[in-house]
Amino acid sequence: MKIPTAMDDSSVSHHNGGQVGSQIGVSVNNKQNEESSQSVQYSIPGVLHFIQHEWARFELERSQWEVDRAEFEARIAFLQGERKGQENLKNDLVRRIKMLEYALKQERAKFHKLKYGVELQQGDMRPPPEEPPQEPEPAERAQWKQGRQLIKQYLQEIGYTDTILDVRSNKVRTLLGLNNEDQGEETSYRNCEKQQHYSMNTALSRKMYDYGAKDQRKTGVSQGSGYSDEGLSVQETAAVFANFEFLANQEMDMDEIDDVEAKQMHHAAGKQGEEVDHEADEVLNELNLLTASEADGGGQGDEYAVGVKYPTGTAAVTGEADEKPLALGELAQLTVSNESEGYDVASASKESFRKTWNAKYTLRSHFDGVRALAFHPTEAALVTASEDHTLKLWNLQRTVPAKKSAGLDVEPLYTFRAHSAPVLCLAMGAPRSEECFSGGLDGTIRVWNLPPATADPYDPYDPSVQGPVLREHTDAVWSLASAQGRLLSASADGTARLWAPRTPRPLLCTLRDELSAAATPAAADFADAATRAAVVYRDGNLLLYDLETGQSVLRVSCDSPANRVRSHPTLPLLVTAHEDRHIRFWDAVSGRCAHAMVAHLDAVTGLALDPNGLFLLSGSHDCSVRLWNLDTKTCVQEITAHRKKFDESILDVAFHPLRPYIASAGADGLAKVFV
Amino acid sequence: MADVILKLKRNRPGSKAKDFCRWPDEPFEEMDSTLAVQQFIQQTIRRDPANLEAILKMPEAQDEGVWKYEHLRQFCMELNGLAVRLQSECNPETCPQMTATEQWIFLCAAHKTPKECPAIDYTRHTLDGAACLLNSNKYFPSRVSIKESSVAKLGSVCRRVYRIFSHAYFHHRAIFDAFEKETHLCKRFTDFVTKYSIISKDILILPKLDDEPPITQPVGESEA
Ligand SMILES: [Zn+2]
Ligand SMILES: [Zn+2]
Repeated sequence: MKIPTAMDDSSVSHHNGGQVGSQIGVSVNNKQNEESSQSVQYSIPGVLHFIQHEWARFELERSQWEVDRAEFEARIAFLQGERKGQENLKNDLVRRIKMLEYALKQERAKFHKLKYGVELQQGDMRPPPEEPPQEPEPAERAQWKQGRQLIKQYLQEIGYTDTILDVRSNKVRTLLGLNNEDQGEETSYRNCEKQQHYSMNTALSRKMYDYGAKDQRKTGVSQGSGYSDEGLSVQETAAVFANFEFLANQEMDMDEIDDVEAKQMHHAAGKQGEEVDHEADEVLNELNLLTASEADGGGQGDEYAVGVKYPTGTAAVTGEADEKPLALGELAQLTVSNESEGYDVASASKESFRKTWNAKYTLRSHFDGVRALAFHPTEAALVTASEDHTLKLWNLQRTVPAKKSAGLDVEPLYTFRAHSAPVLCLAMGAPRSEECFSGGLDGTIRVWNLPPATADPYDPYDPSVQGPVLREHTDAVWSLASAQGRLLSASADGTARLWAPRTPRPLLCTLRDELSAAATPAAADFADAATRAAVVYRDGNLLLYDLETGQSVLRVSCDSPANRVRSHPTLPLLVTAHEDRHIRFWDAVSGRCAHAMVAHLDAVTGLALDPNGLFLLSGSHDCSVRLWNLDTKTCVQEITAHRKKFDESILDVAFHPLRPYIASAGADGLAKVFV
Repeated sequence: MADVILKLKRNRPGSKAKDFCRWPDEPFEEMDSTLAVQQFIQQTIRRDPANLEAILKMPEAQDEGVWKYEHLRQFCMELNGLAVRLQSECNPETCPQMTATEQWIFLCAAHKTPKECPAIDYTRHTLDGAACLLNSNKYFPSRVSIKESSVAKLGSVCRRVYRIFSHAYFHHRAIFDAFEKETHLCKRFTDFVTKYSIISKDILILPKLDDEPPITQPVGESEA
């Protein structure tokens, strides 16, 4: 509470001077007077008390530092383990290349011999040297293990394991989130060609079965998360060895694998040991079990995904990566690695949803309802847009501990003022992350240049924060979406428009429902890799426009007014939120309603899909935020987040594109961030 | 069912600007939300922003601290509108200091040590600081009851906020007049602080806004 105090101080000094409007110099003099009157009258008990107080404070700080140190040590251990894992991966890949070369040469020799009947003279015909598995020296290993155990124990005592786990899952997500987009698309469009499948679950597991039937080895790989695929693929190496005779005599240390599997973190230990098996078909069965148990967990909320097997994969890597034998992947895997990584992303993101979301940050500074919010594409920052005519930028890493509660208050970093009416919608720049866009009841769309995360809220005003203003809409702008440098808006003037916001002639295209002149769009979103626009209308119609031609290519009718539309990041699937408490899922190719469910006790107002398209977040005027598993369409968690103003409560929800944050915006003027 | 839905007081996406918040008034007694006072104030303003008497008429049995607090929130919020207009004209070159008449230079209290911010920064910093203070979990944890010690904080916010009006009035008269014509905000604010004796009458240096020719400034008076 730096600011209020500052305001207080100076107001006190004004009063002391008996002066209300402060003159230069006067307030300064008053300050000095106050200080001098405070610096008298020391007494022994007073001094002692002061010393005691200071000592206690230092002790507190010291223990704080120690906690910090332990945290950093654990982090170092984690990163070291990770590096070793990467090195192993690299070695593995080098070996695979060598094996490929060798196989190629053998094939050539065979071909040559068959064709010409003579041995081909090739340079190097020896099989690749068999590097001994890079196991650390036993002594070093024991030491490492012991040290790690100590830290782990210590951290558990002070309750820091969760934090470390978060760091870890965050890291993995970041690593894997980088490459998920294009792979995801590939998956979706292949699916789309084959047959329209809306459920991620069926789509994914069906694929897994495909691979299982064709080539069992792949299944094992696809099951592992992030790094653990190395560990799991070890189970499959036996099969691989059969293919490579020259490697047949290498020993497999199965105990070693068990060891890895058994050393899971405490929370999953029970489920772990019994499920280790080395046969591919058993792995397949396990997969069934797994999906089933997920569905069960989904209903219970708290328990969700505790039974999932792979979250612990990273744990194994962090500490024990160096202990397992080198994972010698099969050649075939090289060609399907894209797909298998796709599954990795899925499981990694499951890991970060493993825990329940808890309210952590309360963003209070708006004077009226918060209509929209959007996370920064990479940083722990977000922007909120409010009916108080302003937008605010928040840095979640600059917090004020709130008294008497576990939560943290955040003070805004910057207040954007230019709209002359309530701000209704918001979009972050994509791919440019240093800009954002807002649309208001005043009919304008404004482009903003985000101040740096280090900005001070009380810096001098910099007019260059305001970018171009798009004024073509003639009524309130209710929805904005941004992708590939373009902006899609939906307005009460009956149009949706496509913009290139920073060009001299920004308006690219105007989309109108040709069949119904009075139709008013409520929301719009890019679809199909930003080549199309999905627009929902107040009358409930959902139209899909081709952005090349500006013509509608799909029309879906629904009788309930809609509030939001979101397109799935990877599948041809559109999700709409309705006034009649429903969330509806639409096939973006056929227009068929894939699923409809009563999702809330009141109108559904906010929708957000996580970047991997596995979870759906919804907000409603029933005051609650709900998290849904898109596979099973079951509610994973419900959070009561905001209070009502008139008959409105939650107005928007959002997922962070990279970090494990979700957020809600409310008519009560607050925004909340959950971790 | 459709009727019930239509009667709900909400702004659905796609609503026309003219329909925003346009719903029948709800009697204050029937408002059961924790934000009832804000709802009531906004509803009264929307009905007729010029009817200051109605806007400032406190419902019976209403806690006066909360009433004053919610009004001040509303003032600060609407002052964003004045700040937006000032941003286009008021800059460190035209107004390097926060002044109204030439009698005082106001120091910006948003900083660790009060600072001589240019008028536009003073305006923004004061509104940002007020937003922080009025939303502070420490001083205003609830919107249904407010500690007496926190109510005392409202005075200093009001004094600073008034300087924004006075700067606009004396240095950006066209902006001030246009804004005032639309919102009656300065008049409402003056009535408010007078009615509840929140700030001393001496510092209300703007002439009565109804009177056409501005009265000569009461210059040189000393404040006790
Ligand atoms: Zn000025
Ligand atoms: Zn300042």
